[in-house]
Amino acid sequence: MENIIEVKNLAKKYGSFTAVDGINFSVQAGEVFGILGPNGAGKTTTLEMIEGLKPMTSGEAVLDGHNVSRETRLVKSLIGVQLQSSSFFDALNLKELLEIFASLYNRKVDAMELLREVQLDEKWKAQVKELSGGQKQRFSIAAALVNDPKVLFLDEPTTGLDPQARRNLWDLVTLINKKGKTVVLTTHYMDEAEVLCDRIAVMDHAHIVAMDTTENLLKMPGLSTIARFRVDKPLVDGARLKTLTGVTEVEHEDHTYRLTTDNSEATLADLFKFGREAGFKLLDLQLHQPTLEDVFLKLTGHALRD
Amino acid sequence: MRTLAILTWSAIKMFARNKQALFFTFFFPILLMTVLGLINFDKTSKIDVGLVLTGPPNQATAQFVGALKKIDFFTIHEGIETDERQALVDDKRAAVFIIPWSLIPGPSKVTVVSNVGNPQGAATALNIISGMLDKTALSITGASNFFNVINEEVNTHHLKYIDFLLPGLIALSVMQMSVFSVAFLFVNYKEKGVLKRLIATPMLPSIFVTSNVITRMIVTLLQTTLFIALGVFIFHAHVIGSYWLIFLIAVLGSIMFLGLGFTISGIASTVESVPPLANLIVFPMLFLGGTFFPVDSFPAWLGHIAKYLPLTFFSDAMRSVMTKGYTISQISNDLLWMFGWAIVMVVLANITFGFEEKRQ
Repeated sequence: MENIIEVKNLAKKYGSFTAVDGINFSVQAGEVFGILGPNGAGKTTTLEMIEGLKPMTSGEAVLDGHNVSRETRLVKSLIGVQLQSSSFFDALNLKELLEIFASLYNRKVDAMELLREVQLDEKWKAQVKELSGGQKQRFSIAAALVNDPKVLFLDEPTTGLDPQARRNLWDLVTLINKKGKTVVLTTHYMDEAEVLCDRIAVMDHAHIVAMDTTENLLKMPGLSTIARFRVDKPLVDGARLKTLTGVTEVEHEDHTYRLTTDNSEATLADLFKFGREAGFKLLDLQLHQPTLEDVFLKLTGHALRD
Repeated sequence: MRTLAILTWSAIKMFARNKQALFFTFFFPILLMTVLGLINFDKTSKIDVGLVLTGPPNQATAQFVGALKKIDFFTIHEGIETDERQALVDDKRAAVFIIPWSLIPGPSKVTVVSNVGNPQGAATALNIISGMLDKTALSITGASNFFNVINEEVNTHHLKYIDFLLPGLIALSVMQMSVFSVAFLFVNYKEKGVLKRLIATPMLPSIFVTSNVITRMIVTLLQTTLFIALGVFIFHAHVIGSYWLIFLIAVLGSIMFLGLGFTISGIASTVESVPPLANLIVFPMLFLGGTFFPVDSFPAWLGHIAKYLPLTFFSDAMRSVMTKGYTISQISNDLLWMFGWAIVMVVLANITFGFEEKRQ
């Protein structure tokens, strides 16, 4: 597939502080690419350098064949941007705002149609300050679409939204992506990345620590599955649980056991065998599959702070 | 061009929908003009005099009293002697005239009781009545006047306080509007990230600044026109000079203070820090810029500072054209200074103000 964004050795330094430390990645046309990481990892700085909002200290970014540093204005005309804390003029209504933004690209836009796409057509007379958090983000996406961009950049689009508004926004992003737009988004929500992104770059402390399809990241070797169950009578030979294939850790409290395994299939087979031989029954067996949270923990050695 | 037109039109809409901006741009100066216009600084207050007639007046006395009552300077209170003397003691009269019933020159005695607490009023009253008595005496004796005093008023254009006030008030309003409307708006934009959102588009920052400058030029011309119209039609102010020149001065003044407004926008990081910062610069000019008091009336050291303030040149140029009908060459000194200040402010604005957030 064709790469619409190529980032090479991109770095940003503020004095002695390195916000982004020579990262490389590419985004394919038509995909949803996520940059996942905790606050302060360098996600926003990375995005803003590619958007032409912040000068790069070194390295380069090429968008649709154009060098961002050299052809900044051209690149800006090809992309749509939603900033982390989006803000617009006071005293103008949504329709007027979209028309002004279109004029900044020397374009005309059917503002009502665009508002309909983000389900705000009934609110066209309202001002941004009268909108709810979710509506504001949807409007901000509409404003990012006035120039029919090739790439849509979303910087933490659902931070601070309630669960319903988040799902609503996910649907909107999916819809926009299905219409053929490449989407690059940052997030510190694992579930968001899992639901939306085709590929994910995990960032921590100014570096990309892993980058792959969401599926592959979750299949990363060394990630543990947890099997949790109760037994119907006390285990005489509890220590044998530790010897089951794949098991790395056993914890128990009364009759409830928790096995950590890096090979869940083999462990389960052994566990059933052990049950038959020792004459106990497994009750409420639950498997907990690894999540991106675990991927992150595995990669960085620390939890994703929120 | 289309982008500039749309942005300018939007900026005008935003200005017109901002109630606070409208209040300070139009209504507040009108309020100020009304209050100051109603207080009449031009008329000296009248002198209260008491008049005591000791008997029923004869023809000559009646004539004399009639003439006395026609004098604008006096508010005449007729009464009996004891009451009027008491009124004088209570400082309600500057003087009391006690006039005998038969006013015949020679034996008649007109007594003037003066209030030493009001020497000016008393002296004026005494002078006027002496003059009148002399005239009466002459007319009774049938002698003709040797001299006639013809009072010719020489106050070139009947200038009043409103004529002094109006040009200064225009300059002041243009300054306030230019500085505050820009500083509040742009610091707000900067703080809320509106400017950052704008430079995420291919728009050139200069176009956005230009659209806001054009908007404020239009507002400046509206202010000037409105205040002159009100001043002339309601307060009977005089405008003698060229209107084109007046508008030119207004626009130049506006550029000067828009530069200051953008400089403050560059320095202030939050909307809350705009009023202290802007007032630090603007407030002294309110009093020293020659709006309400002439700069000549300040003590010398203060006058030296006052006369170089941007607002002083602005209101001085305005006043010279409006009340004295000066031409462009006669106010060239003011215009050059304003031009100089405008360059300084615009350069400062370019140094301090930018769309990109400056990282501390």
